Amino acid sequence: MKDSYLKKLTDIPMEDYLVGGHVACQGCSASLGLRLALKVLGKDTVVINGSGCMTLLPVYPTTPLRVPWIHLAIENTGAAGTALYYALRRKNIKANILGYAGDGATYDIGLQSLSGAAEKNIDMIYICYNNQSFGNTGHQRASSTPRASSTSTTPGGKVEVEKDMPAIMAAHRIPYVATACPSYPVDFLNKVKRAAEVKGMAYIDLLVPCPVGWGFDPSEGIDIGRLAVRTGIWKLYEIVDGRVNLTYIPKKRRGVSEYLRAQGRFSHLSEEDIGAIQEEVDEAWEGLEARGYEYEIMV
Amino acid sequence: MNTRRMITGNGAAAWGARLARAEIIPNFPITPQTAIIEEIASWIASGEMDADFLPMESEHSVQSALAAASSAGTRVFSATSSQGLMLMTEMMFVTSGLRLPVIMVNVSRGLSAPITLWSDHNDVLVQRDSGWLQIFCSNNQEVLDSVVMGYKIAEDSEVLLPMMINLDGFTLSATREPVEIPSQDEIDDFLPAYNPTHTILDPKYPMSMGGAVFDEYMYFRSQQRMAMCNSKDVITDVCAEWEKMTGRGWACGLVEPYCLEDSERALLICGSESATLKYTVDKLRADGEKVGMLRLRTMRPFPCEGITDALSDVEKIGVIDQDISPGSGGIIATEVKACLGRSVTSFIAGLGGRRIGVEKYEKIFGRLGQDVEEWIF
Repeated sequence: MKDSYLKKLTDIPMEDYLVGGHVACQGCSASLGLRLALKVLGKDTVVINGSGCMTLLPVYPTTPLRVPWIHLAIENTGAAGTALYYALRRKNIKANILGYAGDGATYDIGLQSLSGAAEKNIDMIYICYNNQSFGNTGHQRASSTPRASSTSTTPGGKVEVEKDMPAIMAAHRIPYVATACPSYPVDFLNKVKRAAEVKGMAYIDLLVPCPVGWGFDPSEGIDIGRLAVRTGIWKLYEIVDGRVNLTYIPKKRRGVSEYLRAQGRFSHLSEEDIGAIQEEVDEAWEGLEARGYEYEIMV
Repeated sequence: MNTRRMITGNGAAAWGARLARAEIIPNFPITPQTAIIEEIASWIASGEMDADFLPMESEHSVQSALAAASSAGTRVFSATSSQGLMLMTEMMFVTSGLRLPVIMVNVSRGLSAPITLWSDHNDVLVQRDSGWLQIFCSNNQEVLDSVVMGYKIAEDSEVLLPMMINLDGFTLSATREPVEIPSQDEIDDFLPAYNPTHTILDPKYPMSMGGAVFDEYMYFRSQQRMAMCNSKDVITDVCAEWEKMTGRGWACGLVEPYCLEDSERALLICGSESATLKYTVDKLRADGEKVGMLRLRTMRPFPCEGITDALSDVEKIGVIDQDISPGSGGIIATEVKACLGRSVTSFIAGLGGRRIGVEKYEKIFGRLGQDVEEWIF
């Protein structure tokens, strides 16, 4: 690990480029994720936002952002990043280009545009802040919603399994793909640093627990994120050159019921349902262990 | 030094972008526009044009890229047609709302379904309310001239709105005509570099763009309307300057009257069909009939004053619409009626490129007078 990488919480820069006074919900991990990412990316960063919760950070005539920010629409963060890469180069402006868009804007409506930018390997960092639903409109089903989660449009629980977006991005042969969670800020920010260092597109799928949609108290957001990781439901890993490498391996996995029972969106699940989810998670981790937590996903 | 070449309407559009030194060219192929981006691609490859060619994954992404690159202060260009323009619709309003002087050529083509490759104006008119300036060209020279002038008009601080320049599919896009190509030096004198102060994406001057507003929304729309009003004078001034330089002023930019001084009957039309209609007017006038034509050059801003001035003394007026709003009628006729406050005969013709021709125009001149909608098949 390079010296410039963070080792502990107190290594995180104090400087903020997303400052207070904005209107994100209490306990919002998406705004925390952006605040953290900007701390390491610094002032020479231009943010492109796809419509979603974070679009409401700047509300005329105020803005909590101390870096340039542009929002165009929901489905074009990739296209805007492509254009901005070339436009800034023409203007001789050296800056990180950060795409910050939600999972609905990434997995669903913006997939085509993101795929276009990935295929061109545009030198940008794309962070999908993933609250596993169309959060800004009130928690509707998305292709990122995990199976069994209830949403306002799947009141009985979603039937299908979520898309494996990191694998889809890795299939574009971009130089860097990772998953993260703001509950693990050192892990997350080192991934942001790596994303900024690589030449070409970097994609980070950032799990952001949403108190409003998921149904938990705003004070519990960090804990819910930790439980997602410690139960083994949300895996922290990187994909470089088609090779998956887990960056955090829970020493002793907590039972999934601890995570599921803490959230309103899973409150309809029976003990049997939870048992089935536990079995799936155990099976996945046994497979990972057998492979030494590192494996090829493509040739 | 100026040169004169036999080029297509698509070629003329590409030349306009090249002479204006457009820097970022997001693009997506669609018939009958594709030759424009192919020409630009070949110039960039050969080093004759210094620009970044961005092949995008959809027209929606093209319009998004135009908006993003223009926000960062670069001069941008693209071209589209028909279904492609429809896919851009959401972003058309974003581009104009952000007050970005994007120049885009539309090669008009009727809309699916059923599929047609040929020209009519419904694609353009779907975008009528998007806050873009809309210019209809009558020939290939006008295409080149309009693209170059377009940047000067759109980038004027009194305007700052995007402009769509329309040329008719195949009739102009694929037809070669002699076109005067101004020298690069001449254009560089005419068109200064684009250096916006209202949109900046530079960490030295952090600015948040495209955010939400509450009550103020209506003020932003009001400013957009104001800019559209301002554009009339700017178009006239820029055309006058262009005329001084090239000898071509395109009738001060808004409407082009033809033989209207003593006309008893007149037809209002837009686009390349005006050439056939002019021929018909000449033919009928040779027989002693007092007929004339008014070509609508700008659909937005809508030149109501120009139309009123030109047609107030004409007894019978007809409007040729190569478009239809089912359940209402010809879109341009509806606007002309609202402007003039008098009866107008509305003719729906040439949909999907259906041939009109001199004989039908002669017939149309004979049917003016009633306030009805007539379909000319």
